[in-house]
Amino acid sequence: MNKLAKKYLRPSQIPTKACHGCGIGMIENWLLQAIDEMGLKQDDVIFGTGIGCVGRQTFATWGGDNFGATHGRALAVATGLKLAQPDKKYLIVVGDGDAASIGTSHLIHAARRNLGVTVICEDNMGYESTGGQFSPTTPAGYVTNSSPYGMVEPGFDPCDVVKAAGATFVAETTATQWHQTVKIVKKALANDGFSFVHVRFPCNENFGAYALGTRDTLKNLEWIYEHTQGRKADGTETDFTWETGIKHDASNSRPEFSRLMRDMNARVKADMEAKKKT
Amino acid sequence: MSTLAPAVTETLVAPWVEWARRCTRGRRLLEAGTYALTEGAIAAGCRVFAGYPITPATDIAEYMSKRLPQVGGYYMQCEDELAGMHACAGASLGGLKAMTATSGPGYTLMHDAYGWSITNEIPLVVVDAMRVGPISGITGAPGQGEFYIARYASHGGNFETIVLSPSSVQEAFWLTIDAFNLSERFRTPVTILTDQVISDMWEDLFIPEDYDALEFVVPRKNNLMMPFYPVGSAELDVPPNVIGHGTGVCVSAYTHTEEGYDIEDMEAQWAQTYRLINKIRHHRDQLTRYETVGVEDAEVIAVAYGANARTVKTGVLEARRRGVRAGFVRLITLWPFLDELFARDVPYVVCELNYDGQLVREVMRSAPDGKKVRFMGKSAELHTVAEVAAGLEGVARNGRIPELPYIWTEVR
Repeated sequence: MNKLAKKYLRPSQIPTKACHGCGIGMIENWLLQAIDEMGLKQDDVIFGTGIGCVGRQTFATWGGDNFGATHGRALAVATGLKLAQPDKKYLIVVGDGDAASIGTSHLIHAARRNLGVTVICEDNMGYESTGGQFSPTTPAGYVTNSSPYGMVEPGFDPCDVVKAAGATFVAETTATQWHQTVKIVKKALANDGFSFVHVRFPCNENFGAYALGTRDTLKNLEWIYEHTQGRKADGTETDFTWETGIKHDASNSRPEFSRLMRDMNARVKADMEAKKKT
Repeated sequence: MSTLAPAVTETLVAPWVEWARRCTRGRRLLEAGTYALTEGAIAAGCRVFAGYPITPATDIAEYMSKRLPQVGGYYMQCEDELAGMHACAGASLGGLKAMTATSGPGYTLMHDAYGWSITNEIPLVVVDAMRVGPISGITGAPGQGEFYIARYASHGGNFETIVLSPSSVQEAFWLTIDAFNLSERFRTPVTILTDQVISDMWEDLFIPEDYDALEFVVPRKNNLMMPFYPVGSAELDVPPNVIGHGTGVCVSAYTHTEEGYDIEDMEAQWAQTYRLINKIRHHRDQLTRYETVGVEDAEVIAVAYGANARTVKTGVLEARRRGVRAGFVRLITLWPFLDELFARDVPYVVCELNYDGQLVREVMRSAPDGKKVRFMGKSAELHTVAEVAAGLEGVARNGRIPELPYIWTEVR
């Protein structure tokens, strides 16, 4: 176990049940690095997850308080929890199914409310724990176990969705960008509002095997890296490019949701007191 | 045939009989059921309401949006009922008492959060103001279609639920406090299964003067140490778990260990189920709430709950006036089902607001002779006193319910 894992995680719950070569553990280590560099303690952070690879493999690894919501509902739970525990940092670590499909309505409205949580959307481009079906973030045309002739639906970029909905910090990164991801997560956690960090990572067992034709972790990471560069190792252009980095930074530019609620309560209370006096 | 109603015994078994005696100072109002449900919640210490407007429960949301900020609480209008109940669960996990209110179409959407709250033992109160269905049905008409849905408010089995039903505006107030108390003590969501008539109608309502002085309200406590889930134990009054106090609690959708870790193991499944079922089954004596009239000498007993019980009760008294020794059972606790109320081997006439027959099936199961259980189903409108009296008279004198328009008697 490394130093950060020892400091922040539960020894009994790691290593996780993740498949060999999965990126989930690596990304979690980067989250710990960001938390550590910010000087946050276990008790400062509430760790929320959903269902699927990301939910199942990260739930209860965090040494502090954990919740694993039903599929898609982590942000709905966090919205109520934030009212009761407004001073905590929230790391909502979910997959593309939770964030970009079954729970998108909660994602949009959490962004609209500027709910003070940081969503880490760890995107393995499909439903991999159920055996590798396409999701709204699977690149068009790619073969999965439910798109044997290539995915015909258009996907969407969850960063565009949350930005349009009012998120105050939006960034995209991948499992090939260690230092960039740590920097981004620190900025996300420093925003007292809704932060969204989209992190693509490879699934070797399903997406890798069926869409890319290999279970080799390094080859799958290389495929992601090439798509951040727009160019393959042999110099030819990739079929599409992911622009990574900070997409939108309006950190601390408007009041956080639970703050708005508390301010309203203070106003109502003051009005009541004033009425009592007159 | 006697024209004078003979003396008849009336019994009400509910904690608020004593509460009402103790609360002497307060205000008498003319108010709606939705108002009583709201004030009952505030009196019980509810500080978060998260929901989605729906007829006929919308007024609860509106009242809450006004009242909660006045007491330092939070009203949240969510994007849907899924979010509503999950936000309530989150707030309750954070240490605040929470409630949501809806009608059938929203209640079924809440089942995801309901199951999550059951398995994680999160105290919550859910109001379902039933309207006639299926689905949207008639938005402004009463129904009683969620009797079984409230029992099975989640998929997967392996749990018991607590469901209460008021039949007056005043009772809605006390019963809401009771629902909060039970949810705290049993660490589980409690459904208040009411209906369009009780929610919308205005009636005499007594409200105690000082909510802080209600010593029968069970306060929120925080469980600050292991075990977070006393699996394998039926213990009552275990304080609810809290997130944000550094206990390291784990809350999830999975079968769990006593720490809250997910586990795929038959013994763990057994221990968790033992807890979820037996914390309720072993404490059924804490959950008995009902009203009866004249059951001791009755030759036929009418059974009802909610708004419908009001006209049914009057129908029983009318049958008595006509010389039929009729009795009346009104269930307040719907689940766990009070089998013991149906111990007498007499014909039962079950009056409920659906044509398919739901409550009647449980009475058939509980009664000594299920064949003696008759059904009078009606839909979208309360039974009339005349219908009930005619039904009871028919069963007492001829062994059957006479044919009546819009009354359904077939169950199977």
